Amino acid sequence: MADENSSKTASVSQVMEKTEYKYGFKTDIDSDTLPKGLSEDVVRAISAKKNEPQFMLDFRLKAYRKWLTMKEPAWPNVHYPKIDFQNISYYSAPKPKKKLESLDEVDPELLRTFEKLGIPLDEQKRLSNVAVDAVFDSVSVATTHKKKLMEVGIIFCPISEALQEYPELVEEYLGTVVPIGDNFYAALNSAVFTDGSFVYIPPDTISPMELSTYFRINTEETGQFERTLIICAENSYVSYLEGCTAPQFDTNQLHAAVVELVTLDNAEIKYSTVQNWYAGDPETGKGGIYNFVTKRGKCLGDNSKISWTQVETGSAITWKYPSCILQGDNTQGEFYSVALTNGHMQADTGTKMIHIGKNTKSSIISKGISADHSSNSYRGLVKVNKGAVNARNYTQCDSMLVGDQCSAHTFPYIETANNSVQLEHEASTSKISEEQLFYFEQRGISRENAITAVINGFCKEVFKQLPMEFAVEAQKLLTLKLENSVG
Amino acid sequence: MSGSAVEKTESQETAVLALHKKFLGGEQAKAPLRSINEAGIKRFELLKFPHKKHEMYTFVNTHELAGTSFELAGEGPVDTAWVQSRIYPACKHSVAVFVNGAFQANLSDLSGLGDSFKIQCLSDAVVDDEIKQTLIDSLEEENDVFAALNSAFMHHGVLIDIPAKATFDVPVQLLYVSTGTSSGAVVSHPRLVVRLGEMAELKVLPVYAGTRGNYCVNAVNDFIIKDGAGVTCTQVQKDDAESWHVSKTRVQVHRDGRLFARNASSGNRLTRHHYEIHLKEEGAELLLSGATVLVHQEQVHNFIRIHHEAPHCTSEQLFKNVINDKGRSSVDGTVIVNKGAQLTNSNQLINNLMLSDEAHSDNKPNLMIFADDVKCTHGTTVGQIDEDQLFYLKTRGLSEALAKSLLTTSFVNSLIQTIPFPDVVADLNEILLKKLEAKHA
Repeated sequence: MADENSSKTASVSQVMEKTEYKYGFKTDIDSDTLPKGLSEDVVRAISAKKNEPQFMLDFRLKAYRKWLTMKEPAWPNVHYPKIDFQNISYYSAPKPKKKLESLDEVDPELLRTFEKLGIPLDEQKRLSNVAVDAVFDSVSVATTHKKKLMEVGIIFCPISEALQEYPELVEEYLGTVVPIGDNFYAALNSAVFTDGSFVYIPPDTISPMELSTYFRINTEETGQFERTLIICAENSYVSYLEGCTAPQFDTNQLHAAVVELVTLDNAEIKYSTVQNWYAGDPETGKGGIYNFVTKRGKCLGDNSKISWTQVETGSAITWKYPSCILQGDNTQGEFYSVALTNGHMQADTGTKMIHIGKNTKSSIISKGISADHSSNSYRGLVKVNKGAVNARNYTQCDSMLVGDQCSAHTFPYIETANNSVQLEHEASTSKISEEQLFYFEQRGISRENAITAVINGFCKEVFKQLPMEFAVEAQKLLTLKLENSVG
Repeated sequence: MSGSAVEKTESQETAVLALHKKFLGGEQAKAPLRSINEAGIKRFELLKFPHKKHEMYTFVNTHELAGTSFELAGEGPVDTAWVQSRIYPACKHSVAVFVNGAFQANLSDLSGLGDSFKIQCLSDAVVDDEIKQTLIDSLEEENDVFAALNSAFMHHGVLIDIPAKATFDVPVQLLYVSTGTSSGAVVSHPRLVVRLGEMAELKVLPVYAGTRGNYCVNAVNDFIIKDGAGVTCTQVQKDDAESWHVSKTRVQVHRDGRLFARNASSGNRLTRHHYEIHLKEEGAELLLSGATVLVHQEQVHNFIRIHHEAPHCTSEQLFKNVINDKGRSSVDGTVIVNKGAQLTNSNQLINNLMLSDEAHSDNKPNLMIFADDVKCTHGTTVGQIDEDQLFYLKTRGLSEALAKSLLTTSFVNSLIQTIPFPDVVADLNEILLKKLEAKHA
């Protein structure tokens, strides 16, 4: 009983310490969990457990062999202790999350966050996995959505299911955007990924709703090595939402996901991410999630478009570059990003725009905010190949520093190999000035609200790209994160 | 890199070590510099020749350079008339001539500068603790393999030592002449240390020129700028088209010191300028600009690191590159604002004009900021001649060729015209702008 009480009042960091996987804590290995370590046998076992077709096993083995020859990259502007890849269990059957009886059992810190974000009560219950009445049960919500999607022919399912049901679609596109040997973590992911989402939008279809990951998996823990593949066929459109504003905890420290997007002629994918993983102890920076993700989209067909919007507010280390390969003629790539770091967080994020087709356009808007002891880097590549005539790019990356212990960096790479391009790159660094705050305060607006207003103004260009509800939550999330950082 | 390429670089590294052994045993080496020579070659062994995966050389392919076997250049004979013709009229009595890195008293004329201008060999100057420390300290953290090689082979460098409060009416031209040979490729390692005492002022015009193609200049320049002192350094690189030119400029600017550095490069097989500038104390000020016009397969690369180490420092950078044919240009510039360097003001702008389908331009303007009360901006543009501007000029009756020439010329001219030395401006008209006229004629 005493134990239960203390867990109710535990702070987030204490909860995290408890949920963090303690090596040797669990000695009895149940039949559905593979022992720690990575070898060819482990890769084969994962494939066998998922009952995958032969091509998938070959794909995984090839990736694993490639991975063995690769070195862990050291170039990013982030620092972390070396990861022991043999000390990870690469397969564990999905387990249902622990059901809670009522909101009283939920960590009060979490509830406070929900309240600040303005999440409705039923939604709060769903997010914290409290049993809810039938009407709001996430499973039923998901079923309703699924039915509606199937009516127009959209496939939206776990990738493991897609491998059983639509193996030819997966085989055609998997690994075409992020090749297995693309980078160290992508190779690892290709060898051992266990789940993720698969979306196929048939030709001439506008998705009737925004697809969101939390319709798909809510009762199970998300995997450590997620794989997402979205294919948007001719003349189609889809908007996909990943993550949510609520704080996310996970027992796995390393997250190495791969996301691949493909657009055919005249298609458009809009991919929005709000990421708020546990960032580690704010004082010491210990225990946070490492978010090492490879996200890339390929505008394969002419006149197609891929748009990335991301709001990164969590994880001890965020290291990702959602990219666009503009292969078709007249294709467009967009990247909108807000990356906020506080505590001891580190972020090295940005994008890559590779112009290959004719008349390709890309725009990049990146806003970095660093506070406390954090470090925030924008790293972006704009590359125009020789054949990419009339390519256009506009890049703007702004940084804001809050406090004198943090740092902000910009590393843009601009490479051009033909003379019909127009590229512009602009960047600035600033802080919230005392004059701005004074102006607000003399008009009777509290310092806290003034800061919120300034920061939201700073990020406005990105927020307006987010779907409405997300945008509102994201704004509140930033305010919440910056509490106590300023003034 | 393929296996054979790795072997090739390795064999080149062995060749350099052998050349160094020969150098240390020969007459050229000077005893007081021996410890620096040895430290330099040690650093070289550690750093090794670069390849494309080295972040510092992402945009620069040094493979051909590293793969060429060089002999150390001697102080070979040089045509006096040829040298005279390259001395700027305004610097007739303030010129120091160097042949393959070695100071030539008979060709130089420093009579117009008076007693406060002191120039001496580094082998004599190393008795000065500050100079010795500058040479050794810089090696310990040296990250540029070519600069390490310069130290390894250093034997005829000079120190220009300006006492406090000294000023000069005329600029000092430093004419570096390189002479290639008809047999094999040769390399020279010019070394210059400039030290300015408090409140002193100096204007220097380093000019690099060569007689025949097959040579490499590997220059290192150190500037120590004391409190309130100011240096205006306008560098002209007009080496032979078949040569290589690598340089490193290291600068320490103290309280309220100023450096106005401009470089203009005509390009060759490979030119790479590396700047490492430390704004060490409050009020230090830097202006750095670069202009280049490239044709054929010429290359010019700039690699810049500016360290803002104290509050209230200012740095301004402006680069303008015109790239034609298969030319290649890159600017990789980083401004680092250290913790506590509040009220820093830093701007960086790189403009590229691409005139051909096969031209190549790489840019990387970086900012690393560890302080919150700063103003830092950077910008890059890559583009071609504006169609509207071209149309406007054509409606005024200018031919297409003339209109294009006018627009491209004015693009670089806006930078060249800011150079306060008419002789240099005239020289640059000759070596840079002529290239454009030839192109549009």
